[in-house]
Amino acid sequence: MKFDEPRFAPGGDQYLQVSFGDDATLELNFLALGLASATRESELPGIVDTNPGYNSLLVEYDADAISFPDLERELRALADGLGPSDDLELQSRLLYLPVMYLDPWTRACVDDYREKIAEREYDPDFVAQVNGLEDVQQLVRTHSGTEHWAVTIGSIPGLPLLRPLDPRCAIYSPKYNPARTWTPQGAIGVGGPSTSIYTVASPGGYNIIGRTPVLVFDPSGRYSVFNEGGVLLRPADRVKFVPIGLEEFAYIERRMQDGTYEYNFVGYDTFSVSAYNTWVATLDHEGRF
Amino acid sequence: MIDVIEPGLETAVQDYPGRKGQVGLGFPPSGPIDHWSFRLANLLVENPPNAAGLEIAFTGPTLRFGEDAAIALTGSDMQATLDGQPVSVWESVAVRAGQALAMSYSLQGGRAYLAVAGGIDAPLFLGSRSTCVLASVGGWEGGPLEPGQTLPVGAERGGDAGRRVRVEARPTLPRDKTWSIDCVRGPNDDWIDDVAHARWFGEGWMISSRSNRIGFRLEGPDWTFTPKARDKGPENGDDPSNIIDHGYPVGGVNLSGQTPIILMNDGLSLGGFINPYTIPHSEFWKLGQSMPGDTYQFREVTVGEAQERRRAIDALCKPDAIES
Repeated sequence: MKFDEPRFAPGGDQYLQVSFGDDATLELNFLALGLASATRESELPGIVDTNPGYNSLLVEYDADAISFPDLERELRALADGLGPSDDLELQSRLLYLPVMYLDPWTRACVDDYREKIAEREYDPDFVAQVNGLEDVQQLVRTHSGTEHWAVTIGSIPGLPLLRPLDPRCAIYSPKYNPARTWTPQGAIGVGGPSTSIYTVASPGGYNIIGRTPVLVFDPSGRYSVFNEGGVLLRPADRVKFVPIGLEEFAYIERRMQDGTYEYNFVGYDTFSVSAYNTWVATLDHEGRF
Repeated sequence: MIDVIEPGLETAVQDYPGRKGQVGLGFPPSGPIDHWSFRLANLLVENPPNAAGLEIAFTGPTLRFGEDAAIALTGSDMQATLDGQPVSVWESVAVRAGQALAMSYSLQGGRAYLAVAGGIDAPLFLGSRSTCVLASVGGWEGGPLEPGQTLPVGAERGGDAGRRVRVEARPTLPRDKTWSIDCVRGPNDDWIDDVAHARWFGEGWMISSRSNRIGFRLEGPDWTFTPKARDKGPENGDDPSNIIDHGYPVGGVNLSGQTPIILMNDGLSLGGFINPYTIPHSEFWKLGQSMPGDTYQFREVTVGEAQERRRAIDALCKPDAIES
């Protein structure tokens, strides 16, 4: 539910958290990202950093430049100035990201978990089943049938938290318990209402349904498309997963290795929340691909 | 140049205040945990405040210096010797080319800081030389020091031997391994019931040995929750401590199931657990100097009180803290 007024809470002596509501709707994230952008543009003194969550924004500040009450008042004014989320236009690039769904590497990872940690179904079967999909092929159609919205970036450097924009492609999946001890780099995971891309090989709790040969975190500086810190995506970017087969995976992997891969970004449009909402209202939300 | 003969348990390049302004991309600040002692080390050798030095945890390294240099050790006393002669903590010391500084285990406190005049000239990554363990970037080759590495030293070298930190400007370590730690409520204090708040502020919490620069795990009584933690949408997650993914403050007391984990300098930038309390910046020197098995007693303070305490420490980290 969206709160009538944004709520403010301290995080120690250097942080202030602004919350717009208590669920995970895209509307709340649009507001959080809108406030992040408005805060940056305001050039308020003492703002050190902004860190968006699903429905909140954590603002880091320098108390020698702005007091907590003053910051709260300024942020309240900026939040009011956003107006309804329908008025928001957010800078949003679209990335086409090749993915081999149902790939051998995540399958081997699940097999290893089954052998060493706990019995469980093969992740794509499990996710298809809990979402009432016919089979894993429909899971692939569903997951690749929409643009995904970058809700925020982080946890570890460069890790994107993504959410499908088309309600017909919404999936929900319980996370691993206990967590996996390792996950291959590039694995595509789904957990709760979100999707993520494992930037590096790491432990994890999302169900893994595919793998991309393309790096989304690369601090080496080989590719100019990355920002200075080696992070590919920004909050409010969109990702379209493009299904590929084994041969294409191997080809792209080679081009990544020799540094000749062309990242496929589209950067000519902004994301209009009202246009999006108008489109969503025309859809049959129970529909599936 | 400094040759790493033995790296010690965990020795890494850090600067203060670390990698700020990049948490929106998931980069934690890193930097020295005990920023008070770290800043004093730079002052002793007349380095600028942003010069990089070494943070040395629990057991120190053996380092050989390639040139004459002024160095200073602050924080934990790790029984340092220079070619066999004891080296004082809280003082600048002259080192001659070819001499080796050997450190052992800590006698008191958890972390020592080494500054060398000129600073460790590690490459800048996103504006900082601090080591980011979560992404293996920054610092020297992205991680703690390893045997055989050679660290360059910056060219701007001032600093004389024989300068000391005034006693009243140094942090004082407790003798009984119990620490009083200031703690601010929020942002998610309304998920915890009054019984659990009373336990948090009333009882002692022991630092687990499974603690590191990402998080300090604490052992103590059970947690109980308000209805808010139970009656919530499924997108929050199954456990009472789960919440919809949100940004994490450094110092957040991150409740994972029943285990509180203080989010440290290399901590996660966001996630799906509540932060009922936040440990303010002023208290981080205590976290840096405590050891697994030590006990924390948390004391509730307001945001304003925490900011005043931080200003008081900042005021001590000035050139007049040093006497010659």
